Amino acid sequence: MVNFTIEEVRQLMSRPSNVRNMSVIAHVDHGKSTLTDSLLSKAGIISAAKAGDARATDTRADEQERGITIKSTAISLYGNLADEEDLKDIVGQKTDGKDFLINLIDSPGHVDFSSEVTAALRVTDGALVVVDTIEGVCVQTETVLRQALGERIKPVVIINKVDRALLELQVSKEDLYQSFSRTIESVNVVISTYFDKTLGDVQVYPYKGTVAFGSGLHGWAFTVRQFAQRYAKKFGVDRNKMMERLWGDNYFNPHTKKWTNKGTHEGKQLERAFNQFILDPIFKIFAAVMNFKKDEIPVLLEKLAIKLSTEDKEKEGKQLLKVVMRTFLPAADALMEMMILHLPSPVTAQKYRAETLYEGPPDDEACIGIRDCDPKAPLMLYVSKMVPTSDKGRFYAFGRVFAGTVRSGLKVRIQGPNYTPGKKDDLFIKAIQRTVLMMGGKVDPIDDVPAGNILGLVGIDQFLLKSGTLTTSETAHNLKVMKFSVSPVVRRSVEVKNAQDLPKLVEGLKRLSKSDPCVLTTISESGEHIVAGAGELHLEICLKDLEEDHAGVPLRISDPVVSYRETVTAKSSMTALSKSPNKHNRLYMVAEPLDDEVSKEIEAGNIGPRDDFKARARILADDFGWDVTDARKIWCFGPDTTGANLLVDQTKAVQYLNEIKDSVVSGFQWASREGPVAEEPMRSCRFNILDVTLHADAIHRGGGQLIPTARRVLYAAALLAEPGLLEPVFLVEIQVPESAMGGVYGVLTRRRGHVFSEEQRPGTPLFTIKAYMPVMESFGFNADLRSHTSGQAFPQSVFDHWQILPGGSPLDATSKVGQVVQDMRKRKGLKVEVPGVDNYYDKL
Amino acid sequence: MTTLATAPPVLSTPDTHILEDPTPFIEVQNKLRLSPHQLLEVYEVKRTAQEIKQGGWRRIALQFPDGMLRDASLVFDVLGEELRRIDVEKEDIPEKDESLEQSFNELKTDDTQQSRGRHRLHILADTSYGACCVDEIAAEHIDAEVVVHYGRSCLSPTARLPVIYVFTSRPLELDPVVEVFQNTYPEKKEKVILMADVIYHNHIAAVLKKLQGSGYTDISAPDIIHDPASIIPNRRVDKEDIKEYSLFHISDPPPALLLTLSSRVKDLNIYPTTPTSSYPSKALQSNTSTSLRRRYALLTSLTTCSVFGILINTLSVKNYLQTVTDIKDMIRRAGKKSYTFVVGKVNAAKIANFSEIGGWVVIGCWESSLIESTEFFRPIITPFELSLCLMGDGERVWSGEWRGDFGTVDMKSVSPGEEIRSENAAATVENGKDIEKTHAGDLDSEEESEPPEFDLRTGRYVSHSRPLRHTLPHPSSETRQEEQFTAASTTLTRRAKGDLATINGTVSPGAEYLRTRRTWMGLGSDFQDSEASTAMEQGRTGVARGYTVGEDVDRR
Repeated sequence: MVNFTIEEVRQLMSRPSNVRNMSVIAHVDHGKSTLTDSLLSKAGIISAAKAGDARATDTRADEQERGITIKSTAISLYGNLADEEDLKDIVGQKTDGKDFLINLIDSPGHVDFSSEVTAALRVTDGALVVVDTIEGVCVQTETVLRQALGERIKPVVIINKVDRALLELQVSKEDLYQSFSRTIESVNVVISTYFDKTLGDVQVYPYKGTVAFGSGLHGWAFTVRQFAQRYAKKFGVDRNKMMERLWGDNYFNPHTKKWTNKGTHEGKQLERAFNQFILDPIFKIFAAVMNFKKDEIPVLLEKLAIKLSTEDKEKEGKQLLKVVMRTFLPAADALMEMMILHLPSPVTAQKYRAETLYEGPPDDEACIGIRDCDPKAPLMLYVSKMVPTSDKGRFYAFGRVFAGTVRSGLKVRIQGPNYTPGKKDDLFIKAIQRTVLMMGGKVDPIDDVPAGNILGLVGIDQFLLKSGTLTTSETAHNLKVMKFSVSPVVRRSVEVKNAQDLPKLVEGLKRLSKSDPCVLTTISESGEHIVAGAGELHLEICLKDLEEDHAGVPLRISDPVVSYRETVTAKSSMTALSKSPNKHNRLYMVAEPLDDEVSKEIEAGNIGPRDDFKARARILADDFGWDVTDARKIWCFGPDTTGANLLVDQTKAVQYLNEIKDSVVSGFQWASREGPVAEEPMRSCRFNILDVTLHADAIHRGGGQLIPTARRVLYAAALLAEPGLLEPVFLVEIQVPESAMGGVYGVLTRRRGHVFSEEQRPGTPLFTIKAYMPVMESFGFNADLRSHTSGQAFPQSVFDHWQILPGGSPLDATSKVGQVVQDMRKRKGLKVEVPGVDNYYDKL
Repeated sequence: MTTLATAPPVLSTPDTHILEDPTPFIEVQNKLRLSPHQLLEVYEVKRTAQEIKQGGWRRIALQFPDGMLRDASLVFDVLGEELRRIDVEKEDIPEKDESLEQSFNELKTDDTQQSRGRHRLHILADTSYGACCVDEIAAEHIDAEVVVHYGRSCLSPTARLPVIYVFTSRPLELDPVVEVFQNTYPEKKEKVILMADVIYHNHIAAVLKKLQGSGYTDISAPDIIHDPASIIPNRRVDKEDIKEYSLFHISDPPPALLLTLSSRVKDLNIYPTTPTSSYPSKALQSNTSTSLRRRYALLTSLTTCSVFGILINTLSVKNYLQTVTDIKDMIRRAGKKSYTFVVGKVNAAKIANFSEIGGWVVIGCWESSLIESTEFFRPIITPFELSLCLMGDGERVWSGEWRGDFGTVDMKSVSPGEEIRSENAAATVENGKDIEKTHAGDLDSEEESEPPEFDLRTGRYVSHSRPLRHTLPHPSSETRQEEQFTAASTTLTRRAKGDLATINGTVSPGAEYLRTRRTWMGLGSDFQDSEASTAMEQGRTGVARGYTVGEDVDRR
């Protein structure tokens, strides 16, 4: 039975210093959900026997079937420390009693779903990083860790699947120690790479108790601290001193009965303290149980003070091992202790997270409320994702209260991602119908939720597509929009088999778009409904959901396609000129490629249209070598006012220029949304307005004259600047044993892959290959790789960058690129030939 | 520069580019000068004169498309003569044909004032909207009683004047047509509808006869009627369902016809009549799926558009005024704003002048309503497409059916505003705990916002897509609003400076657009954000030989 009530949870919510919001993050298959199970079993949500197999946080049928997590799932747990003494070990933050509320989010590990991780990280303050003993730190470990640190989230680590090392690899104690220490080292390398001064040093050390070791499957885990506690009593020394001795080059010399940091005594090898005091008992249990030494087991159990029920005593082999280990070192205790002691409470975390969370000034009431985690401040709540309800088509808005208190019936301002203070766009006012507590697949109603807690909201799902800010303050800015590490670059078009089903498809697409933080559903210029996802698996899951759940109608699904971007590769060979329809106005422009670094910064949101133009000019001038005058005169970003194309005013002393700015900007948005080559969006182009001549009468230089002209001159400038197509490229990381490397290289070469790094994991035959591979070539890559390496290679692909599609000019129909363009135009129902520059260029 | 020197861009804009008429227009390649005899035949002078005679009309307007204007004066002369001849004939009934020459001469010598006065012919050129439509307004300027329309026509029913259509038939070699037909439909029992563009329609009977002679049993050739709403526009079709028929079309149909027909018949084969050196062996199978899909994309992209422009592109098609009212009403009921425009011939520059308009709906003849050009700043759709667009995502069905005429578009049934309202209410009931609460919510619904709508083009939510929703007369509050209205009309209210135009308390979307989206606020405002420093600086001192700045020792 669940060993806590909603009332208890609600009481704990009001004590934010005793709340821990944390997410479980890791590489795929490192055992997040399994490990989460042991915490749930401790809380009584699932039975101890099932823990490890149930994966209770995988609430969807296909998650259970495939054995991978797809959606992140939140669950609230009640935890407490066994001993008041332990409270003293909580450094740097206050606590209030020994009861704690743990809001835990289990996240998916597969790279295609990392947007779920981002959404989970936003609402938590701490992260439990799970690392596989054998595989060590993998790509996704690194990615999620980087994301966590970017959000100022403090990590603790558990090294999982230790049982495999013991049972399958039969490593020695010292080897195991070395493997642990290597893994911890590589985690710390990642952490120190993304060092954040405000967050301080968050590297993890076993002797500080921020690293645990264990086995999620068997339900056991330990921290050095736990053992230190046991031995501290026995040796009669201070626990903290003991902790330091139990890790690293510390040895207990049995001859001198003294601690030393030298590994030898009179030429004889001493046993490392960690091995002697921690690993030894575990190894002994394993040896005894797995070798069926019936007589030894009871002695051992007694020595370690492990009491088993009579029923459990009957068990043998692995079953017995599980029970013994679980009783000896329950995973939940170790994890709970680690989380409570070392992860920050909302009060602590929001102090340093406030400035990174909030878009507005750091001294307004909203920001101060967040910083103080004040339940009486104006409400600041971030909705990070939508969770489907049992009621079809409706969603819980899942989020976190950063300041104030949210309750049922409260009328709030709902601010969408495009909201700017003072404007009405993306702003809605609505009363919250109900507030609920998310308990895995279930929910529990709760009256109100104060600052620092995670919750679900009913009744506001119609107003937010994926995420947004809820507030009661009229002056509040948005909480920062989440930045995803993946982008929806793989697209498939869907159509209904039966025309009458179209409304259901459209409705389904809306719901799909809501249910996933990353998926994009659009309609293309050529009238196809497009679903875009981060990768093949992601798209597959989304389309399955769409067909079976959201739309519920039979669909025809096209092969995956990639979206291209149009760009320029050189400066316009001459100044482009276009005249307005009435011939009285002239625009002169040139196009040139935008520095790829700048484009990336724009796409990452570091340079944007909302920045102060002087600050933006400073960055462009200092970091990217722009001319300061140019940098200050950026008229706009495009397409959609945020894209990575720039329109720069380089004119000198043009009369009425401000008057036509809006028209030219409109033309620019239009042109950059549909480029001249294949009506694909443009990217990474910079257009300079060199000169403008305008008619003296305002009526002759209105929007009608200038918008189409601006578009034409932009097209002309782009076509004169050696246009090119950009294709998306995946970063592929493949883990493969040496023996199968040949196959990997073969497959990669055939798919235009380009290997740029190959590393061996120390102590294993495993190699990690990193390569760039065009997304276009990636379809069916996983299956291909599996068949060529007899299933030994594990690839992970994530969108990395755009690159020029090689093979000639898109304007040359005979080249490979030209062919791609023609196919694309044909598919869109356009004239097959790319219109020449003379369609847009006017003679003086 | 050097690499490009081999192929420099053409440095001129084609003259036609500016004056391009974007409305679809089947180019009549009238390259050859017609001989007087051909002229009589092509312009059907005799028939025209007969009909004028029968109608007893006196003032006659001759409307020519631009391509035929050069023949206008000739036709004018010939028709005038023919009319006079008939008049004379009528007067001298006993006289036979052989006296034609004589009477002709008589007439000429007489130069009878009465016949001149009896038939006044006028040439109309430069039609306001499209050459395919009858320009009744221009005809009314000269107070015409009848319009003779030359060239290909959309056959839209007219409201005011009787019209004589002269299709100016073109010659067609029949044998290749029959051959192509046989190649296209080898099966003699194939159900085929034979159809031609109006300028080739006179050949249909001959082709039909030949085909029936060669063994085809189930071919029909519908007659021309003036009904764009027919299953096949402007053709008389008796059958209820023509789904199982193939359609063989002589000459390229205009895009509007192509889209209309493609969903109604089994397949559509086109016999091209553009002059080519060799005759095609097989008719071209038309493929409209891509263009239909593009139309679909276009109209769905406007589902979240809040301001529509109604573009009146005809002043003659029957019921156009009623349609304008209906469309206005339909847009208003959807909670959106519409503005009405008459701009004459549509071109990109005119359309782009109104940037606050999110999309245009064009009311014109059924052929010219379909404006498919990417040159336009905002999409232009037809009334039929608008009705789909306003339908709300829950109902919109795109079966591939398409129509160009507006007469049959059912505009009354669409009321997405209400639909969404009820949807919301349902949602509240579903989620709310009790119904009372819902009622309470309904009462202060003015304070609570309406949910945003999903923009299918970008995949994002768009707020304020129905800005005038609150101004919709609510069934229950109608009386109250009336009271308010009367109260407002008697009381003098002072408008605060800088207030925006409001409609029943809601800010006008057009004004709102100008306020929020435009950065240019009028003369003088462009100096506001110039970075001129207000701090005083020390200027130059000294004599013209050399000035110094401040403490600077260097002379400048």
